[in-house]
Amino acid sequence: MAAKTKKTTSTKPAKDITQKTRLWLMYPAKQITHPVIWELSQKFKVITNVRQASVTDEIGVVCLELVGPRSEITSAIKWLEKKGVKVEPVEINVLES
Amino acid sequence: MEKQVGFMKALKCRECAREYPLAATHVCEFDFGPLEVVYDYARIGSSITREKIMSRPQTMWRYRELLPIANEPTVGFQVGYTPLVKATRLAKKLGLRELWIKNDTVNYPTLSFKDRVVSVALSRARELGFTTVACASTGNLANSVAANAASAGLKSYVFIPADLEQGKVINSLVYGANVIGIRGHYDEVNRLCAEIAGKFGWAFVNVNMRPYYAEGSKSMGFEIMEQLGWQIPQHTVVCMASGSLLTKIHKSYQEFSKLGLVKDASYKVHGAQATGCSPISTAQKAGLDFFKPVKPDTIAKSLAIGTPADGFYALKVMKETGAASDDVTDDEIREGIRLLAECEGIFAETAGGVTVGVAKKLVASGKIPANESVVLCITGHGLKTLDAVVGHVGRPREIRPSLREFEALLDAEAKSPIVS
Repeated sequence: MAAKTKKTTSTKPAKDITQKTRLWLMYPAKQITHPVIWELSQKFKVITNVRQASVTDEIGVVCLELVGPRSEITSAIKWLEKKGVKVEPVEINVLES
Repeated sequence: MEKQVGFMKALKCRECAREYPLAATHVCEFDFGPLEVVYDYARIGSSITREKIMSRPQTMWRYRELLPIANEPTVGFQVGYTPLVKATRLAKKLGLRELWIKNDTVNYPTLSFKDRVVSVALSRARELGFTTVACASTGNLANSVAANAASAGLKSYVFIPADLEQGKVINSLVYGANVIGIRGHYDEVNRLCAEIAGKFGWAFVNVNMRPYYAEGSKSMGFEIMEQLGWQIPQHTVVCMASGSLLTKIHKSYQEFSKLGLVKDASYKVHGAQATGCSPISTAQKAGLDFFKPVKPDTIAKSLAIGTPADGFYALKVMKETGAASDDVTDDEIREGIRLLAECEGIFAETAGGVTVGVAKKLVASGKIPANESVVLCITGHGLKTLDAVVGHVGRPREIRPSLREFEALLDAEAKSPIVS
């Protein structure tokens, strides 16, 4: 029987390079009056760029471009989701039936 | 260049009409609107005739001038030209004079209409020089990419949510695809797949190949018109997930009409959704131009898209054609599946049950008049969603191997028929 060799699995995170991510944000009604994007830019090291927006008293839809290290973008997305904002890629339904 | 263009002119933003080269790209850099293929209809008009189409093999490629490939197809030669079945018994049940079923439950090779869009996307991907193809899917699309890539000798990656049912996973694994399960909730999986699609230089069929991919759906509409004797049906009922199929059926009717292949006639393309995921039909019924996203909860998994990418455009088409839409509950979906199976011998997946159920409602409410022609687009086979009907289609009656027992059973049933 072959001797068991210790598996070396790399747990190193992917390189934290600067990237550009384009997202559709959908605000629930209770977040519409809050300066969510300003707050995001204060909390995370990302450049925010609003490319499209449509806000009514019922729903807010914003197309946002984020530029920054991947880890910061990932944290920013998590923070947005915690606030109840739906975050989708600009392509929307990538995962199809 | 001519070699890679064929009858296409450019990709064009559906929002601002900016044009882009015919490459593997899918959103407008300015407003992120979806890109769509535009064609040189003048050239197509001088090349295509009914006779020419009829002289070609009975596959979706007989309309190849109107599909976004530059040369002959290289993937999925046998796809399409599925039967258009005259559904006399179902028509009677629904109270219609003329009803047809466009039966994509028998589309080749993976028993769903997705083979149409995938074979177009992969043929175009080859023309653009790709050797690896990919998709993110929970079912039919994954199976179709895996199968069509295998037969064409392309390397394929299929991304799925890690908790997907085993049956659906096997239907992709068997073709030798690289199936990658992603742990996480829907939105996380969705975002990662978009990121992967952007990072690796692959042909991601429903991302960077989406403008070409989506055009494949038109072939269903072309076939309907030809099979009806070169006519546009007065009513077409289509199930809606992203809403793309509905918009492409509409586009196919417009193209044939523009090219003089059919007589210009008024028609309506109605949309069908499940009540547990009905952002488009809810908006349509309320007379809105936009929809509100929902969290899906329905047995019609193949239609469970809470934020439909083409929802806005589907609403526009329904408004333009004066069409209606509606939605049906899980029980009504199962009833729709049974109606189609019992009347026409066609076993559809849950999406088909949605289409039949909604058609029934639209006839009952007078939105589809009883004396007009109707086509129902049935998009996938029932074997794909067996779980949805288990326990709802009755059970076999058991007897011992005795003729007397069988006769007794028949006698008993004659006296009190089983109503299941």
